[in-house]
Amino acid sequence: MPKSSVFSSKALHGFKQFVRSEASRFLALALFLVAVFYIIPICISVYMSFTPLRNWNIDRYAGIFVGLENYYRFFYLLANDPSVKSVFLTTAVFVALTLAVNVLGGLSLAIATFFVNERAAGGLQLLWLLPRMTPIAVYSLIWYYFFHPSSIGTINGILYKLGLISKPIDIGQGIIPWGAWAIIVFVNGLVGVSYGMIVFTSAINNIPKELVIAARVDGASNWDITRKILVPMLRWHILYVTTWQLLSLLTTYDHLFLLVKWGLVNRDYGTTWSLYIYNTAFLTGLQDQGLAAAAGVILVIVSSILGFITLKLMGFDKLIKPPRGDL
Amino acid sequence: MVSVKLVNVTKVFRGGVVGVKDINLVIEHGEFMALLGPSGSGKSTTLYLIAGIYKPTRGRIFFGDKDVTKLPPRERNVGLVFQNWALYPHMKVFDNIAFPLRLRKIPESEIRKRVVSVARMLRIDGLLDRYPWQLSGGQQQRVAMARALAKEPDVLLLDEPMSNLDAVLRISVRAELKRLQRELGITTIYVTHDQAEALAMADRIALINEGSIVQIGTPSEVYGKPRTVFVGGFLGNPPMNFLEATVGYVEDKPILVIGNNKLRVPDHYEELVRKLGLNQVIVGIRPEDMGIMDKPVPYRTIRAQVYAVEPMGRETIVVAEVDGSQVKIVTSKSIVLREDQDIHLYPSFEKIVLFDPKTEKALEVLYEEEKLE
Repeated sequence: MPKSSVFSSKALHGFKQFVRSEASRFLALALFLVAVFYIIPICISVYMSFTPLRNWNIDRYAGIFVGLENYYRFFYLLANDPSVKSVFLTTAVFVALTLAVNVLGGLSLAIATFFVNERAAGGLQLLWLLPRMTPIAVYSLIWYYFFHPSSIGTINGILYKLGLISKPIDIGQGIIPWGAWAIIVFVNGLVGVSYGMIVFTSAINNIPKELVIAARVDGASNWDITRKILVPMLRWHILYVTTWQLLSLLTTYDHLFLLVKWGLVNRDYGTTWSLYIYNTAFLTGLQDQGLAAAAGVILVIVSSILGFITLKLMGFDKLIKPPRGDL
Repeated sequence: MVSVKLVNVTKVFRGGVVGVKDINLVIEHGEFMALLGPSGSGKSTTLYLIAGIYKPTRGRIFFGDKDVTKLPPRERNVGLVFQNWALYPHMKVFDNIAFPLRLRKIPESEIRKRVVSVARMLRIDGLLDRYPWQLSGGQQQRVAMARALAKEPDVLLLDEPMSNLDAVLRISVRAELKRLQRELGITTIYVTHDQAEALAMADRIALINEGSIVQIGTPSEVYGKPRTVFVGGFLGNPPMNFLEATVGYVEDKPILVIGNNKLRVPDHYEELVRKLGLNQVIVGIRPEDMGIMDKPVPYRTIRAQVYAVEPMGRETIVVAEVDGSQVKIVTSKSIVLREDQDIHLYPSFEKIVLFDPKTEKALEVLYEEEKLE
């Protein structure tokens, strides 16, 4: 294998050079932290997915190698266990809808505040930051009471007072699956909107105001300006926010965990992939870390592919400008 | 094509900042009017009021006989070119120029024809497939002009369109723009802080300072007969020289006393100085309206010391000190002068302008105003 040995000696040489360079000294601490908190846990997870580890009985199980057994079990459950199936259906619906709410909501808010006067805009934006600033438990509790399936629940209270319903409706448990999905999309959507809003607002503020004035003088309405000037110029930011939110939605589970635990939403249709991993590793009667690790590894692979596809779909490579012409 | 008329236009911004106050201005059909003033003087505000981007707090704006005060920008049919050109970076040159036409829902074949013809006129027809960032500054400026002209506007508004160009390019574009405006015969309002640009291109210049119009006139009028100290000091490079003088009388004839120098009052001011009864005046003399002599002439020359000599090639600027204040003299002759050498300045008396130090207005202006009251 002459080719590969040449390659590896080259790589080794490059590595040695890097270690000797000043850059390595400069980056040492950062690299160390990345290794300890990021790379090593990933390696451990991948390793765990090849062992029958359960109930954190490391002495007994961590040394046993079972090959692809956990991955096989994962796909078997996915194909046959209705509650695991519903988890993946929920993940797909949750991510798609919440992503749409996050990106389109943030974009609409940023553009809407661009067209109204600044003072009102500031107040409006602060309002949308509140979910982000509220502790997760408090925030979840607010919506818990909002959707509570009794007369103390805000929605039920209002509907009852208005005479629209005669007895409280249990949205999260009674209307399956869309009631549960509506609640988790709503709650997470509100949290995520502020992120896009901030990115888009600052991006819009960086668009020279002459562009908008010029368009207005040329006869463009607010809608024309939005469609033909603002959105095309926010292309990169939309791409960034979409990718970022997609990846964070695939791995988020904090709000969902509380909503499911408190029984506000149906367990099967309120649990997403990442919450399923958490539950499998830490919560169910038989804590199956091997299976959870395998599910986690597959989630990382799927996230990477989806992230790559979003970047491709939205033309990341086209955003890199060709060199300036001969002028 | 139309004339533009501003009647008592005042703009007060939120927070009470006064942009412009009581502007009265008529721009004739086909005229090239420059709005000239230092930054923050309100010239761009005036332009944006005409474009309809700002609504006046008080006053009315007319295009021809039509009152456009309340009309939004798109119903005024104006073409606007910005200092930074405001080209849409995500659109090719063609689409940039076609943008206003597409908003009007003109058929695509007609758009194509108009874009190509205006691009040919501005000699950018070879660049239609490029993006703005692939163009040089001069080319971008042409694209911005093309975009403004493609919609065949009634009024062309230019907001310092050349200040982002380098000095050499600016001078060549200057002539081209003037020629283009003449050929199209389009009513044009040109905002600039560069007095040379205004003098070179405009049919008339409106000088704006602190939100008010100070003087309106042809380039030679505003240059030769400044109505205030501000106008004299703003126009010309180097600008007008100002010397403080006391008015004295010799044999019942008024004379100007500048330090130890006695100077006769120019004929056209004798009467005015007497009538207004001023004790102090400011003498304004353009640098090119002074000669340099070795010997004094009674009542005709001012004694001065050479401070510095700046040879500029075609002309020489002599900086001299008169009674503690500096004056500049532009002379075409290549004269040999030492620093601190005594010289005698011989002004062209018919070109002198006298100002009242209190109001900073030229005496004839002051007299007219007093007569009106």
